[in-house]
Amino acid sequence: MRIEVQDTKSRKETIRYISYAIVLLLMSVAHLTLMDFISVGGITPDLLIILSVWISLKEGQFKGVVAGFTAGLFFDIISLDVIGTNALSKTLVGFISGYFYKEGASDSIIGSYRFLLIVLGCAFVHNLIYFFFYLKPSEISFFMFFIKYGVAQTLYTTVFAIFGLLVKIPRK
Amino acid sequence: MHRIIDFVAKYKEYFTFFALIVISLSLISMGNVTRIGGFRTVVIGGMGWFQNIFSFIPNPVALKSENQALRELNLQLSSEVTRMRQALLENKNLRQMLELKKTLDKPYVISEVTGRTTMEMRNYLTLDKGYNQGIEDGMPVRTDAGLVGVVIGASGNHSLVEVIRNRDVKVSAKVQRSGYPGLIVWEGGEEFVMKDMPKSYDVKVGDIIVSSDFSNKYPPGIPLGQVVKAIEEKGELFLKVLVRPLVNFSTIEQAFVLKYLPNPEVNQLIKEMDEKLKLRKSPPQREDKINLPEEKKNKEHKKK
Repeated sequence: MRIEVQDTKSRKETIRYISYAIVLLLMSVAHLTLMDFISVGGITPDLLIILSVWISLKEGQFKGVVAGFTAGLFFDIISLDVIGTNALSKTLVGFISGYFYKEGASDSIIGSYRFLLIVLGCAFVHNLIYFFFYLKPSEISFFMFFIKYGVAQTLYTTVFAIFGLLVKIPRK
Repeated sequence: MHRIIDFVAKYKEYFTFFALIVISLSLISMGNVTRIGGFRTVVIGGMGWFQNIFSFIPNPVALKSENQALRELNLQLSSEVTRMRQALLENKNLRQMLELKKTLDKPYVISEVTGRTTMEMRNYLTLDKGYNQGIEDGMPVRTDAGLVGVVIGASGNHSLVEVIRNRDVKVSAKVQRSGYPGLIVWEGGEEFVMKDMPKSYDVKVGDIIVSSDFSNKYPPGIPLGQVVKAIEEKGELFLKVLVRPLVNFSTIEQAFVLKYLPNPEVNQLIKEMDEKLKLRKSPPQREDKINLPEEKKNKEHKKK
């Protein structure tokens, strides 16, 4: 009886992980192909930050860190970016958002304004790290570039996180 | 050992985080990872395929910026076209001048036209070369098309040219085909008039008029214009030949100053003759006034 319960639990977990992987794949593809349609002045929301925060809040810090790293590395590979930049910044996102994980209360966190605040903070740190490595080989002023693009992208990502919040918002 | 495992398990988040950060930094430091080059090619192909599928969706923001960029590009290109056309014309002119240079037997100074002046039907050009470059008064000026005028004044680095389209200028000319001589004058308008051409002279529309050997001011053989009309007026002995100038005086940009000076002896003779003729033509009142004191003296003498 106990073994059966454990089996069902692990199967559910496996299905969850597979669904995360599928969502990661779809989001990455969407990020590369469809984001151009909603870009404002060349700024697009980073869907993988929202996904990393989501996984971290649902599964905990450890799985969040792994998920952030995997998502970032996958995106680095397919986006022709410098390998490791997205992996590093999204690992940090998973780690920071993991601090807000509360067992059994994940849905209430995601379904509230706190989710937006966590995404806002994580996106800010993410962009700070990402643009640091992005601008390192160039002579562009980091501060000005970050103010112009980093902050704007942070806000745009936070606005997009509203869709995630709407999924988990408690229905009366 | 058990303790260590427990410790690692307890702080697995931190260990994992640290390990992944190290891996990420190592990957960044590696830079371009060539091993995944093939995979990236597949990804690019896949992305291209996906983007192609969704290409029918219009993007208003992108369209707006593309429109703006195209407008800017259009403006740049149109200015570029204007510049190219200008350069083409300039190139054509310079080539023609180069061809002329080969045929010119007299030494010359190439100069740029820096100014144009028109005063009471008198046209002048200002050139950017003066006596520092060997230009003197009386030197004829021409382009590849034909005669322009004569230098009437020169400073160190500038000179003033009296254009033949000037009511005071008379050029001794001839019909290139038949060799019949005449006198080119400008009476206003677009065309010159070739005077002193008896009706018996062989002049046809399209004939080229060149400066003649009789001219002391201009070297012979320089093209002046083309006959556009030869009018035979009733009761007149002479033809009225209209000649369209070959040089477009309003668009001259470069000109050759020929280092050719008229024969001073002939000039002196012409001057003297002019003065004599002037004296003959001078009004009698003037002569009366001149003689008036002598007449008074004579009268006074008679009285005495």
